[in-house]
Amino acid sequence: MSSRPKTGAKLSVKARAMRAATTENERVSWAGEGEAKVIRDNDKNNPIAVRFSNVYKTYYLYKNDKQRLLGTFTNKIDHKVINATDNLSFTINRGDSLALLGLNGAGKSTALKMITGVCYPTRGTIEVHGRISALLELSAGFDGNLTGRENLEMRCQLWGFTRDETEALIPQMHEFSELGDYMEQPIRTYSSGMKARLGFAFASSINPDILVIDEALSVGDKRFRKKCEERVKDIMAKDNLTVLFVTHSPEQALQFCTRGIVLQHGSSVFEGDIEGACQYYDEH
Amino acid sequence: MLVLIKTFLQMLHDNWVWRKQTWELAKIDLVKTYRGAALGWIWLFVKPAVYIGVYYFTFAVGMRTAAPINHMPFLLWMAVGIFPWFFMGDMIGGGGSDVYHRYSFLVNRIRFPLSVISTFFTLSKMLVLVGTMLFTIIMCLILKIKLTIHLIQLPLVFALMMYFWTMWSIWLSPLSAISRDFSKLIGTLSTPFFWLSGVLFDLKALPHVGRIIMYFNPVAWGCVAMRDCFIFHKWIWHSHHEFICYLFICVVVTVLAMHSYARLHKEVPDVL
Repeated sequence: MSSRPKTGAKLSVKARAMRAATTENERVSWAGEGEAKVIRDNDKNNPIAVRFSNVYKTYYLYKNDKQRLLGTFTNKIDHKVINATDNLSFTINRGDSLALLGLNGAGKSTALKMITGVCYPTRGTIEVHGRISALLELSAGFDGNLTGRENLEMRCQLWGFTRDETEALIPQMHEFSELGDYMEQPIRTYSSGMKARLGFAFASSINPDILVIDEALSVGDKRFRKKCEERVKDIMAKDNLTVLFVTHSPEQALQFCTRGIVLQHGSSVFEGDIEGACQYYDEH
Repeated sequence: MLVLIKTFLQMLHDNWVWRKQTWELAKIDLVKTYRGAALGWIWLFVKPAVYIGVYYFTFAVGMRTAAPINHMPFLLWMAVGIFPWFFMGDMIGGGGSDVYHRYSFLVNRIRFPLSVISTFFTLSKMLVLVGTMLFTIIMCLILKIKLTIHLIQLPLVFALMMYFWTMWSIWLSPLSAISRDFSKLIGTLSTPFFWLSGVLFDLKALPHVGRIIMYFNPVAWGCVAMRDCFIFHKWIWHSHHEFICYLFICVVVTVLAMHSYARLHKEVPDVL
C-alpha cells in the first residue's frame, strides 16, 4: 500500500535528493523514507482533536505530464523534490478554535488537506479524532453541473444522513445561504461568494466534530462574514466544536480564534495564543 | 503479492461500506449525463435508435447482407451487439478509463474512497445497458420474436461485464489522472475495439488465429455472450474456451488494477 519507489531504485532517488538538499537548500530534508501513519476515528470524546507528529509532505515536480507518467514507471526521470510540509508538529485540543496563519505557499492548504484526509503524508503521524466537515478552497466538494439543491442532497448522502434528515436540513441551509432562486441553478453559474455561502451553510449545518474553513470567509461580504462568525460561535458553545480556520489575514482570525499557529515554509514557527500569533505573523 | 491482496480486500471493504452511496451516486451520474438537454431522458433512446438505424441501412440497403442469423431477425442480432457496445465504448473512450477527472471534487475536496468512483460510474452505465436490454426484450415480446430460457443468464452476463469493466476503470483511471496523454491514448482505442471485436460481424468469419486472439478480447466476449442469450440460445459457459479465457482476463485485469491502484491512489489527489 505504498506509492513510494521500489526498494532497489529508492536509493538512487534518495541519493539524488540528498545531493540536491546539500547543494541547493539545506532545509529540504529527504522525506521519501520512513513510516507515514494516519490514525482516524470518530471518537469525539478524545481530548485531542488533531495531532501532527513530524509530518512531511513531499511533492515530486516533473517538467510536464509526460515526464510524470514516465516517472511512475521508472525512477530515472529527472524531477524536483519539494516538501510542502516540512517536519510539522502541533496539537489541537478538543474545543479549540485555532487559526493557521501563513503566507501563500506556507503549506496551510496542504496541512488542511491532510487533516481532512484527501491527501496523504509522506512521512510522520497524523491523528484525527472526530468527524470533519471542510470547506476547501471555497468548495465543499460540489459538482458544477448539479444544482445547489442536488449538491446538498448528494453531500448529505455522503455524510450519511437519511432521506428524512436530509429533507429537514436542506431548507435550513437554503435559508442560511440566502441563495433564493439560485438554489435550483447549476453551481457552475454561481459566483465565488455564492459558492462559499452555500458551502458554509452545508459545512456548518451537519453537526461536525471538527469544522475546517479555508479562505471561505474572505470572499463573502462583511454582513455575511458576521453571520458566519456568529454561527461558528453558536455551534462552538453548544457542541464543543473544534474549529480550524485558515487565513492570511490576521484580522479575521482575531474575531473568533483563541489560538494560532504561524506556518512558514511548511513548518510551524510560532504556536500560542491568537494575539501572539498575529503579532508574530505581522512582524515576520 | 501481499500488497495486491491487501489492496483488494481494502477495496471490497470500501465498496461494502459505501454501497448505499454507490447506488445514489450512480443515479446522480445518470441525471448529470442527461442534464441540460430539454428532451432529457429521450436521448437515452434516440442515440441507440439512430445508430441502429444507420448501421441497418448500411447492411440491409447498402450491402444487402441483412439475412436472418440462426433464424432470428438481423436487426435483433445487430441490436444485441451494439447495445452492450455502447456500455463498453463508454468504459473505454467515454470516461470510464478516466473517472477521476470527471469527479475531481470527490478526489481532492472530500475524503472518498477512489475505487468507489469507478464502481458507481460503471454502475450508472450498466443501468443504461440493463434498460436498453429490457427495452429489447419488450420489443421482442411485442413483435412475437421467439425468446428462450437462455435469457435467464442475462443477470450473470451483466455481473461479469460489470466486474471486468469496474476493474478496467480502477486500473486505468489513476494513469489517466496522471497523464492526459494516456487518457487520449485509451480514447483512441475505442474505434479499433468497435470494428475489430465483432460488434457488427460474426467472429466465426475470422481465421483460426484471429478467433483465438478474440478469446482474450473482453469486448468480443460481451457481444458474443449477449448474442448467446438472444440469438444462438446457448449457455455462456457452453463455449468453454471463450468463457474460461474471459475469466482469465478478469483475473489479469484485477491484478493490474490492484497494482496500479496500490501504487498510485495516494498520488492522484496531488496531481489532479
